[in-house]
Amino acid sequence: MMEEMFTELPVPLLSTAAIIRHHTRYQPYQRLHQPQHFHTPVQELHALQQPDHGTTHISCLYPEILAIIFSYLEVRDKGRVAQVCTAWRDAAYNKSVWRGVEAKLHLRRANPSLFASLVKRGIKRVQVLSLRKSLRDVIQGIPNLESLNLRGCYNVGDVGISHAFVADSPTLTELDLSLCKQVTDTSLTRIAQHLKNLEVLELGGCSNVTNSGLMLIAWGLKKLKRLNLRSCWHVGDQGIQHLASGNPSLEHLGLQDCQKLSDEALKHATGLTSLISINLSFCVSITDSGLKHLAKMTNLRELNLRSCDNISDTGMAFLAEGGSRISSLDVSFCDKIGDQALVHISQGLFNLRNLLMSACQLSDEGLAKIANSLHDLETLNIGQCSRVTDKGLTTIAESLLRLKCIDLYGCTRITTVGLERIMKLPQLSVLNLGLWHVR
Amino acid sequence: MPNIKLRSSDGETFEVDVEIAKCSVTIKTMLEDLGMDEEEEEVVPLPNVNSAILKKVIQWSTYHKDDPPPPEDDENKEKRTDDISSWDADFLKVDQGTLFELILAANYLDIKGLLDVTCKTVANMIKGKAPEEIRKTFNIKNDFTASEEEQVRKENEWCEEK
Repeated sequence: MMEEMFTELPVPLLSTAAIIRHHTRYQPYQRLHQPQHFHTPVQELHALQQPDHGTTHISCLYPEILAIIFSYLEVRDKGRVAQVCTAWRDAAYNKSVWRGVEAKLHLRRANPSLFASLVKRGIKRVQVLSLRKSLRDVIQGIPNLESLNLRGCYNVGDVGISHAFVADSPTLTELDLSLCKQVTDTSLTRIAQHLKNLEVLELGGCSNVTNSGLMLIAWGLKKLKRLNLRSCWHVGDQGIQHLASGNPSLEHLGLQDCQKLSDEALKHATGLTSLISINLSFCVSITDSGLKHLAKMTNLRELNLRSCDNISDTGMAFLAEGGSRISSLDVSFCDKIGDQALVHISQGLFNLRNLLMSACQLSDEGLAKIANSLHDLETLNIGQCSRVTDKGLTTIAESLLRLKCIDLYGCTRITTVGLERIMKLPQLSVLNLGLWHVR
Repeated sequence: MPNIKLRSSDGETFEVDVEIAKCSVTIKTMLEDLGMDEEEEEVVPLPNVNSAILKKVIQWSTYHKDDPPPPEDDENKEKRTDDISSWDADFLKVDQGTLFELILAANYLDIKGLLDVTCKTVANMIKGKAPEEIRKTFNIKNDFTASEEEQVRKENEWCEEK
């Protein structure tokens, strides 16, 4: 009996103690490369005395080593190795295997051991893909939850949120309620009251949120760094005033498609002294004068004004003259912006790394202006600028030597001659000529 | 460069450049802590590594002796397995048993670079396979009871979501 036991293990590698330990721990395994015919004890003994390589079975790897191997797998494969055998399940449920993993869950049928098994694995990030049960189960089932993503769970509303957050959840730092369209200011009351350590709050598409909701956020969420209010159409200038008075840590503010916002909102925004990025795309009521305020914001690095119909060359002058230090500017589809804007940009926005101007009224002359001054430019989008020719591309290819990405989709007057020049840019890694441009 | 002698579990002695031997944190610590003098004719016993594996470990360490120290594990960084160099990939074209013994040796000798690349290689053998295929690949017996199997399946169903 004993001999049989020993031969299942890599004798040369393990002490006797380890052999016994591993044998008892890894009973499920069979010996690797074992011939199918019957072994006599004598043959087994022979194998013991003359160990040959290639006989060490994967069961000899300690659970800690299995955990290292499993940590390299993607989530799908991590879940599959747990189903191989009990030893692998135990190794796979080690916290180191699931570090940083977000569990994506359909919460429909009862699954009593699920939350406990997530907690055991140290999983602290959850995305709910669909929800037929109470949201409260998630909050109670995973007490140390750090990130909860309910994006697109259309049936999450104020009642569900109010039932879920009945006590402080100090570990929760990220909450995504994007497209939870039933959510109103009532939910924000609970959130502001119990999620004091929230750093990221996504409310894109929660179009019932109003200025009062932002007042609650300003009152309760002092650690907030990122707030997205895309398409919160009721949010107005006063809401931004609330944020400016209560959320000094805010670094990223998404106001895309908040069409009520006027230049007054940008004046209030100057109070957000930590702000690094602001997205104002489709805020059609913003005008050039509003940009005077943004120019003063010394920490602002990213400005998105995509499809802001009332922004023109003059706005670019205000930014440049006001001393803006932005490194990324998106004015794509602002069709009042043309070559003159590039003159202003080239005279003041020296920190620009990314300049996105698709469908602006640009020509070769304008490009010549930035080519002489924006030497650090890494991304240039001038797709659908149909007046640009090979001459403009040549200027770019000769001057903007740090360029990594360029979008030329729909530049109908350029030819292979210009493209060949562009291709010679030493750092270039993305050249887009197609319709679907991923930035 | 001074040399050092390493003795494998089966009694074979290998003479290696000290700097190469120090790729192993275990050997490095032994030399430093136990005051083994590099000048003396000391032999470092490695009772957990046989000669065939030790030979491979020395081969790997010699090739990688000038590598920068491997970066600390970063929690937020996605772990990759497609960054195995072609030399390492060739080096690791061995049978499963040898691969596992190399892992155990790298673990015992504390050679992080070798442990990483061997573990990645096993991870690549697992990728994309169903549990039953994994069992076949490594000759593992399914020892779950029916109810345990059902529970573990339910607990991991979500992992299949994209």
